[in-house]
Amino acid sequence: MQMATDRGGKRPWWRSRWWMPLFSVFLGTAVLVAFWVGGSPREGLYGFAVMGGLGLVFLFGSRSETIRGLGGPGRDERWAHIDILATAVSGLVLITLIIALWLNDIAHGGDGNPYGGLAAVAGVAYLVSVLWLRFRA
Amino acid sequence: MKNEIKSLRVERGFSQQELGRALDVSRQTINSIETERYTPSLPLAIALARYFGKQVEEVFHADGN
Repeated sequence: MQMATDRGGKRPWWRSRWWMPLFSVFLGTAVLVAFWVGGSPREGLYGFAVMGGLGLVFLFGSRSETIRGLGGPGRDERWAHIDILATAVSGLVLITLIIALWLNDIAHGGDGNPYGGLAAVAGVAYLVSVLWLRFRA
Repeated sequence: MKNEIKSLRVERGFSQQELGRALDVSRQTINSIETERYTPSLPLAIALARYFGKQVEEVFHADGN
């Protein structure tokens, strides 16, 4: 049985106050490099600034429960529950949109790409997850 | 789930913040449990009951009574 919290123990790394700020900077750096390689360093710097700003919000926005939950330090078991539901809603919205775009593309004479492939990946990922969780839980 | 968390906490003079800190959960999580908007996991329910020196079934009422 997995304990919901680390009462009395060391906090896991994803509850460190540095996790999300550092991840934001990492993502910002990846955006910067990608735009730079693509010949648009200005857009890359803009993306890096946005992600860096987000990192600062996570680092210093500790008064807000939402920021603490998204950032890591406030991620207790209730927040994990909220996170799972929010992830499920996001996935459902995305899959519904991909299927709608796939059908729309086919109806307009297209081959359905890349939506068909994305829908297939989503479906396979769902089935693999169900099977894995079925045997794990 | 109906529970006695609020009455036990107030009886001992703790704030939601203090209780949350003792159990490594947020003040809002304690508030959500007290107002029955969130049902805690079994480990947290046991930890809450132990914190107040009670049995789980003395603190949480699955049958709503």
